[in-house]
Amino acid sequence: MAQMQNAQSVALQLEKVRDKLPLLYERDDILLTMIQQRGDVERVSSRNMRLPLQIRPGGKAGLANMDGGDLGRGSGTVYDVAQVSPVFFRHAVEVTKLVEYASNAPEKAVENAAKREVKNAMAQFRSFLDKLVQTNGNGVLGTIASIGGSTFTMAKPPGSMLVYYNQTIQVYDPTLTTNRGSCNVTAVDPFGSTITVDAVPGGTSANDVIVHDGLSGAQPVSLFGILYHQSNATTGTWLNLNRATYPVELATPRVNGNNSALTPGAVRLAINKVRKALGSNQVSKLIAYTSLEQEHQWEQLGVTISQIIKEGAGGRASDLDLLFTGEKSMAGVPIKSSINANQSRVDFLDLSHWGRAVMQDIDFYDVGGQTVFPIYGASGGLASAYIFYFVTGFQVWNESPRSGAFIDNLAIPSGY
Amino acid sequence: MSPRIYPSLIQVTRETHEAPAAIENRVTRAGGTNRYGEPHFRVVWGGARLAWIGGKWIDRDASGNIVREAVEVRRVPKYLPLDRWHVERWLPPESYGSPEEWEAQTTEIEDGIRIAALGPYPSRGDYEHCFTLESTAGEFIPLTVAACDWIVRAVEWARRQPRSHLRGAVAARETRRARDWEQNVDVVLDEEFSAAK
Repeated sequence: MAQMQNAQSVALQLEKVRDKLPLLYERDDILLTMIQQRGDVERVSSRNMRLPLQIRPGGKAGLANMDGGDLGRGSGTVYDVAQVSPVFFRHAVEVTKLVEYASNAPEKAVENAAKREVKNAMAQFRSFLDKLVQTNGNGVLGTIASIGGSTFTMAKPPGSMLVYYNQTIQVYDPTLTTNRGSCNVTAVDPFGSTITVDAVPGGTSANDVIVHDGLSGAQPVSLFGILYHQSNATTGTWLNLNRATYPVELATPRVNGNNSALTPGAVRLAINKVRKALGSNQVSKLIAYTSLEQEHQWEQLGVTISQIIKEGAGGRASDLDLLFTGEKSMAGVPIKSSINANQSRVDFLDLSHWGRAVMQDIDFYDVGGQTVFPIYGASGGLASAYIFYFVTGFQVWNESPRSGAFIDNLAIPSGY
Repeated sequence: MSPRIYPSLIQVTRETHEAPAAIENRVTRAGGTNRYGEPHFRVVWGGARLAWIGGKWIDRDASGNIVREAVEVRRVPKYLPLDRWHVERWLPPESYGSPEEWEAQTTEIEDGIRIAALGPYPSRGDYEHCFTLESTAGEFIPLTVAACDWIVRAVEWARRQPRSHLRGAVAARETRRARDWEQNVDVVLDEEFSAAK
């Protein structure tokens, strides 16, 4: 009886915090939350959300001979429809009764367990989703370069950046056809680009890929991230459209970094591609989304107000606060950097063309008003622990792939 | 062989300004001069600073409809916004690689036509964007000696710092961001959890 009362107390506390979850979820320097929900289209049912696209211009212009000449035939605008289906994600949090008993009063602990777990879980869930938004829409978090015992050395980029400690992962073959099995991450070394797992699935070999938990079958579908939307591929599908049908219109302009360091020339090439495609003045909404590594590389060129100044280490910050608090920029385009971003890319994004199709805002998983659930022991009786879940269902879309550009294959500066 | 450049025959008029000599002198004193005796730093008006951009241009009308497509090299404003002052810093030619590398990287082929996407190789180096003079809300800030002087000295000072210091500052910012978020969350959760007891 005592156990249920405590669980109910925790449930009451979680219920109280429920309407604050979206607030805890958002952080303005996280790409996922920079991509806004769009008021007109964000609420979607289980049917696909449709994004009508004006893909190709119509009409035939030309010189006319008005002295009885043939004016020729016309043509119409080509429209097509991109489609998006939300995918669901969950984050399960399990707390033992001992942890709760040891922290449910101020004299026992500074923070109560439920509060601490909500805080930690929100940070972790948001981080997990932000890692997914860096990916190619198939849930791939990295590629195994080599295996030593139960340690995978991961190919860089992204190395082991998109994996976290204690995460359950799955190993697929390189073609994403065969699921070799799942395992738990017992150690992550982002500097050495290694992850260690509790048990290597049978058949795992170099060039296999790591995907997140919950995916199944061949060619799994997860969150459509930057690598999905910012691609110059001319095969495959993009939001249910065949890329081969519109090889130019659906391709994002690309600059190949050729494994060289980031240069002003490469940046100008990328920005200019957007200017040429959209008009010379249409780059005012761009941001340069990149990793801390490439941000650092750009600082090395000595053409920007460095973070070291913005942090105040120059000791002159108060001289001109108006300027000092301004954005760091790359050829005039504001830089947004992220610890999760691909280390060898700079993506120029116009986020006014990006959105989130949301079926379920982040919330506690709820069954008939109950949000905290007991755990059962091997005997069938209750275990001295409880579990709650965060869930959300959404997908990321981009209505104009040509409104951005990207530089890839950049050298990663030493020391990272 | 370098790709040929065909300048646009159409003259586009736009608002142009030049920085006053007093400011140019101050910026030159603060930043020094390069191997050609030219200033390391300079201040330019957005609408007056032009650069070559070659490739396939798609011109649109005010509604976004395509009105013209052309493969050509145009001399257009290098930076946006056009109506702001921008501080630039000179970079030596080696910053752009060798002429061969430049040609390999910047030559594009559009409709079967080879075209220099960034114009000719900058054999005397080029000036690159450092800072746009505008408020944090994106509003115009007039050109002042104090602002330019501060920017030039800040960039120069930072350029002399060791790599590890630059990297450390970026890492410190990330730590601060995480800490700020945690503190905000604590405020929210403390309020909610104490109310629930």
